[in-house]
Amino acid sequence: MHERLSFYIKRDSPLHRLNPLTKLTLIFGLILPAFLVPFYWTPHLLLIVVVFPLAFLGRVQREYFAASARLILPVAGFLFVMQALFIPGGETVLAKAWFLTLTKESLMFAFANAMRIMVMVSSFTLFMLTTHPSELMSDLTQRGLPGQFAYVIIATLQIIPQMQAKANTIIAAQRSRGLDTESSFARRIRALVPLVGPLVFGSLVEVEERAIAIEARGFTSSRPKTSLREIVDRPLDKGLRWFLLFVMLAALLSRIWFS
Amino acid sequence: MNIQIENLTFRYPNGVLALRGVSLHIASGELVAIIGQNGAGKTTLVKHLNGLLLPSQGRVLIGDWDTRQYSVAKLAQRVGYVFQNPDEQLFTKTVADEIAFGPRNLGYPKERIETLVEDALHLTHLETMRSMNPYDLSPTWRKMVAVASILAMDTPILVFDEPTTGQDAASVARLASIIAELRRRGKTVLTITHDIDFCAENFERVIVMGGGQVLLDGTAKDVLGQEEILAQTYVDPPQITRLGLRLGLTEVVCTPQEFLDAFERRCSA
Repeated sequence: MHERLSFYIKRDSPLHRLNPLTKLTLIFGLILPAFLVPFYWTPHLLLIVVVFPLAFLGRVQREYFAASARLILPVAGFLFVMQALFIPGGETVLAKAWFLTLTKESLMFAFANAMRIMVMVSSFTLFMLTTHPSELMSDLTQRGLPGQFAYVIIATLQIIPQMQAKANTIIAAQRSRGLDTESSFARRIRALVPLVGPLVFGSLVEVEERAIAIEARGFTSSRPKTSLREIVDRPLDKGLRWFLLFVMLAALLSRIWFS
Repeated sequence: MNIQIENLTFRYPNGVLALRGVSLHIASGELVAIIGQNGAGKTTLVKHLNGLLLPSQGRVLIGDWDTRQYSVAKLAQRVGYVFQNPDEQLFTKTVADEIAFGPRNLGYPKERIETLVEDALHLTHLETMRSMNPYDLSPTWRKMVAVASILAMDTPILVFDEPTTGQDAASVARLASIIAELRRRGKTVLTITHDIDFCAENFERVIVMGGGQVLLDGTAKDVLGQEEILAQTYVDPPQITRLGLRLGLTEVVCTPQEFLDAFERRCSA
């Protein structure tokens, strides 16, 4: 019955309890080192030693691995194959077929890059799974982010699940009127018109209604606003953020230092 | 056309058990109202009638068709389903085109489609609005377009999901007269409703659902007098029925006329 309006999964875990800004910092605290630290095994280690345990700590390991398998692996896999085959240079030739050569160097380079992508997408996935979008936005607006920005971000995050739910109802309604959406390709194409019409029109109406609804609650008022949600920001959060800032700085410095 | 529901159990993919062993027989030509609190399983139940949902266990027979063996588009020949929100199905430029969409999908011959569209326009009082764009009509008339678009499919069974929600008195009266006409034509009509007066005044058989099960099933008089069981699924009997119960009338009344008759009998006795 209940359509999910975001990727968020409601659970109680140390990761869920962290302040949204801390988790946002954590994303960059993972991505920057993965891309910047010149030590070869950095992204691999980060993934195994930090990201995977975090998924278990947040009690979203099942959803995380399912999302990775569907989302990240194909992209990382594609990148891996492309780079392994087409990055020039490298002396240790492992295999050769037609115009394609596979060298040990290009293989290693591609593997590290695929891992970097994994770390980047993984940390975003973990963040989305454990942070309710409106909690993030309440926190950021309370820290001074303009409401309009928050609205744009949150609307973007929610539009896909909302459109999906709407599309499903429309498909059900038109199939109930005998619309054939299951047989030949040509029929499916023709079936699009009765589906797209109500979807587009309905979405436009919804945008207008939403604009009126939020304006009725004083959205553009310039006075300071109070929030229903209390967002906890514990000393632990502050400490973690400073630590992550330090990690990012260290990653940057290591890059400058060693190259 | 008979509807046979046998031990129907349905679990949504997210694990929610929405129907727990529902068995019902609905005979050809019956007028049935389904009532019960939100989440009782009413919509889940009727979505099984045209195959939008398929049983996790048990089976649903529409005439001699098992819903698992026929597509939704095929079952649309037998079951017409009016959704709650008309805006989720209207897409053509004119009211008449919108109404003709269903019968065209069902592959009826041209002359029959024309007759069916005329008839549906007439039943819903939309004749003067036939060439208007449905989105230029008020929400109550858009609802009528949605109803007409299903009527024109000329199915032996019709399902209405909360037809009176958000409708004014005139529109509710139109819906009542449409349902009465469908009964005259021998159609089977199932209606989900929260409008208990609408239910009491227009339906002979009432099914009460709660927690994915059928709590009560019987004539309106039998069902609507059972205040305690109805309270389990947060349904109040119609005001006139409650007044009759409080006055200690010997029979359960469902309409003002029945109340007056019963009251008169008591006064003269």
